[in-house]
Amino acid sequence: MITEAIKSKLRAVVGDENVLDTNLDRFGYSYDSSFIPLLPANNPDIVVRPLTTDEVSKVMVIANAHAIPVTARGAASGRTGGSIPVRGGMSLALDRMTRIIEFDERNMMVTVEPGVRTIDLYNHCAAKGLFYPPDPASWKFSTMGGNVAENAGGMRAVKYGVTNNYVMGLEVVLADGRVINTGGKAIKNVTGYNLTQLFTGSEGTLGIITKMTLRLISMPKARNTLQLMFPSLDDACATIHAMLQAGIVPAAAELMDKMSLQAVARHRKLDIDQAIEACVVIEIDGEDTAALDKQAEAIEKIARSLRVAEVRIAADAKEAEDIWAIRRGLSSAVGAMAPTRLGEDISVPRDAFPEVVRRIKKISETHGIPIAVYGHAGDGNLHPSVLCDLAKPGEEERVHKAVDEIFAVALEVGGTLSGEHGIGMTKRKYIASALGEDGVEVLKAIKLALDPKGILNPDKVW
Amino acid sequence: MDKDKDLLQQVKEIVSQCDRCGTCLPVCPLFGVKDIEASSARGKNNLARAMVEGGFAPDAKMLEKMNFCLLCRTCIDNCPSKVKTDEATIALRQYIADRTGGPGVKYRALGGMLKKTGLVKLSAGALGVTKKLGLGGLVPFGMAPSTLGREQYLARFAGPAALAGPSPASPAAVGADTKVAYFHGCGMRMMFPDAVAETLTILGTVTAVRQVDNVCCGLPHLAHGMRDDFLALAKENIRLFADADVIVSDCASCAGTLKHIGAYLADDPEWRDAAKAFSAKIMSLSEYLVKAGYRPRQRAGAKLTFHEPCHLGRGQGIKKEPRQLLKEAGDYVEMPGADTCCGGAGSFHIDYPEAAAAVLDKKQANIEKSGADIVVSECPVCLVQLNKAAEKSGGRFKVMHISQVL
Ligand SMILES: Cc1cc2nc3c(=O)[nH]c(=O)nc-3n(C[C@H](O)[C@H](O)[C@H](O)COP(=O)(O)OP(=O)(O)OC[C@H]3O[C@@H](n4cnc5c(N)ncnc54)[C@H](O)[C@@H]3O)c2cc1C
Ligand code: SF4
Ligand code: SF4
Repeated sequence: MITEAIKSKLRAVVGDENVLDTNLDRFGYSYDSSFIPLLPANNPDIVVRPLTTDEVSKVMVIANAHAIPVTARGAASGRTGGSIPVRGGMSLALDRMTRIIEFDERNMMVTVEPGVRTIDLYNHCAAKGLFYPPDPASWKFSTMGGNVAENAGGMRAVKYGVTNNYVMGLEVVLADGRVINTGGKAIKNVTGYNLTQLFTGSEGTLGIITKMTLRLISMPKARNTLQLMFPSLDDACATIHAMLQAGIVPAAAELMDKMSLQAVARHRKLDIDQAIEACVVIEIDGEDTAALDKQAEAIEKIARSLRVAEVRIAADAKEAEDIWAIRRGLSSAVGAMAPTRLGEDISVPRDAFPEVVRRIKKISETHGIPIAVYGHAGDGNLHPSVLCDLAKPGEEERVHKAVDEIFAVALEVGGTLSGEHGIGMTKRKYIASALGEDGVEVLKAIKLALDPKGILNPDKVW
Repeated sequence: MDKDKDLLQQVKEIVSQCDRCGTCLPVCPLFGVKDIEASSARGKNNLARAMVEGGFAPDAKMLEKMNFCLLCRTCIDNCPSKVKTDEATIALRQYIADRTGGPGVKYRALGGMLKKTGLVKLSAGALGVTKKLGLGGLVPFGMAPSTLGREQYLARFAGPAALAGPSPASPAAVGADTKVAYFHGCGMRMMFPDAVAETLTILGTVTAVRQVDNVCCGLPHLAHGMRDDFLALAKENIRLFADADVIVSDCASCAGTLKHIGAYLADDPEWRDAAKAFSAKIMSLSEYLVKAGYRPRQRAGAKLTFHEPCHLGRGQGIKKEPRQLLKEAGDYVEMPGADTCCGGAGSFHIDYPEAAAAVLDKKQANIEKSGADIVVSECPVCLVQLNKAAEKSGGRFKVMHISQVL
């Protein structure tokens, strides 16, 4: 319960208009982009929208004093229920904190507030010739706070890594309102534990991130896109291996299975040969077009040796865009195939990719539930989409079995539950099988040390 | 009751397609001025979904949330699942109106007024009513819609490039026997009679245009929970225009609405075919003029920019045509965010004056940035909004309907 007295204290900190407490307004902060049902609604009791670190700190002092659960929220584009206030309390919406505080060209670093959208950060840096590579498909709307809190990945991970490879330092407001700074601009830094990396990917359970300093690299000068169509999924995967082994590291290498491909074909009214079992979309980058041509040629040679059916090398930016549009339209096209889509996010060692896809197909057949598979083949992160209609009798049980089996397969081949979407609510019950009981105990011990009252994003991760 | 079920079913089918991804948040002009979840398409679609699933009552508070939408379709343009937020919103408004005893008295009065024909001679009495109901903003008599008439425009901007007199014979591609009729929209009729006259003049150079004593297109009724009235008006218009081959409207909202009548009557066995045929005949003014090969009567020395009405660009896919015409009519510059809603949106600016004003402020800044002398548009509601912006900018630009500069 948040009393009127507490509410007025919160209003005094952030201003009346930045506190929402009507029933309908609170509902807007009760969901994210996961498949967790809207009802019964996980409404926060109050929504608080601070503008500065100082306000966040004061809000946390109040929340901690009254043991009010606080769930941080960026754009609520999370796929695992991370920003859902399951225990009510406060939704702490950080989307008003949108300042790019400093652009340090000489050190190639940028410091931003958590509400800055990924695309705005990218554009800001790109305008000055610098490159912030992590590109979650949600980059047009997700916030940097959410990206760091989930350690978001993206298509460029195969060459450039994920969010944590770029986080140099953080400003964090602790559960009790104290403000700490971790890391910094020094590239070498072994002073104390690596708290920067601890908070990165902590899903709002350890502290509220209010500033982040990110490393940038120089912008690749030229880019191009290739599309490879294979009659065999194994050959598609083998091509990616052979490429990497030959030292050709693409900026992105995305794989789609036949079901995904046909879904896009239907969605976008394209005609794709039924004999095609897998499509690989590759982005290459380099110094100049000559360097790109060389890479493209080498990739084509490898693909030909592995029985590729069709090689398309984009002739211009427009054609590259057309090819990427197929990949980007994938999630929606696949989602449109069934009333409910459970999108998973397992990550496996790269060489296990074809094996995992094959075993997922088996699971699909056993349970009679279509599962489309696509993902970042270059880094072993794949998104099986379980397509179902939960209104059908017995479907829910079958689906849960299938999902359990998918996770089991991922762990068996030495992989993990989540490559980039986090654990949140949807994967909690599997975490012990991934980390072991002792592993989970360590997480809990860290949590207890930083948030003794357990107010930060309760009931998440484990 | 059945009708209610249909509406709910319709809403459900639309909103359950929403993946809650959030793509629509940064693009929604209302989210841009009031950045809370409920402003956005995701916010409204999920409120609607929760209501349909029994989580909320269909009451006045819910209606208020549903009314907070410009129906500008920017969200749909960007939505990966193409969730039809505008249709869901409209259907839910209808549903709530049916349940709570009809649309508010304000909309009922407005709807009743627009249902009557012959609004040209809108009586002083009716005007009094609109004032009392706070609808003055919708019918802004004396608000100087024609601060800059065509005469003054030519006098001021007739540079060396301006050609006096009528254009040479138009190489119109439309056959001599195409029967073209003009749809006389209420907004144009009440607020911009000068522009209507210009439209008729232009059309007259291309074809023998027929005038029909038509009734309202029904958009205000449809948008505010008076679907029965909308359908009745639609049928009347279908009947009135039965023997026209092409129906031209110089109001994007009318044209956009009329083009949708076919879909709204698709389940009505008696009217289905006629409605479909009727919708296929509708053309927006600029759409028709380009098709007919019309060339502007003059090229003026004015710097022109275009505000693209939501119902023209996103609503009908007519984007190139007005620009093509304007490039020939003057020194055309594209302003940033030309296709962003101006905040007029039917009667939105009356219900939510602050949000509408904030949306308009952004539009004004973009017009000023373009350095244009004249901002041109093709929808009376936009023109009203733009006139407000022009006034606020202290006369840095003027506003004209496209027919006045062509
Ligand atoms: C269409 C679509 C495509 C996607 N593609 C990808 C992809 O390619 N790669 C990928 O990794 N993810 C992807 N995602 C998932 C999602 O966009 C990311 O997890 C993103 O980082 C979430 O950002 P957000 O601002 O929406 O955070 P939210 O969803 O609001 O929050 C996510 C988590 O972070 C916490 N949090 C938010 N801000 C803070 C803060 N300032 N301090 C502390 N904790 C905070 C929240 O409590 C929550 O636990 C996709 C999602 C969608 C809908
Ligand atoms: S963009 Fe479409 S699917 Fe995504 S949240 Fe908005 S309405 Fe829903
Ligand atoms: S139609 Fe326009 S105002 Fe309404 S939700 Fe969509 S983008 Fe926002």
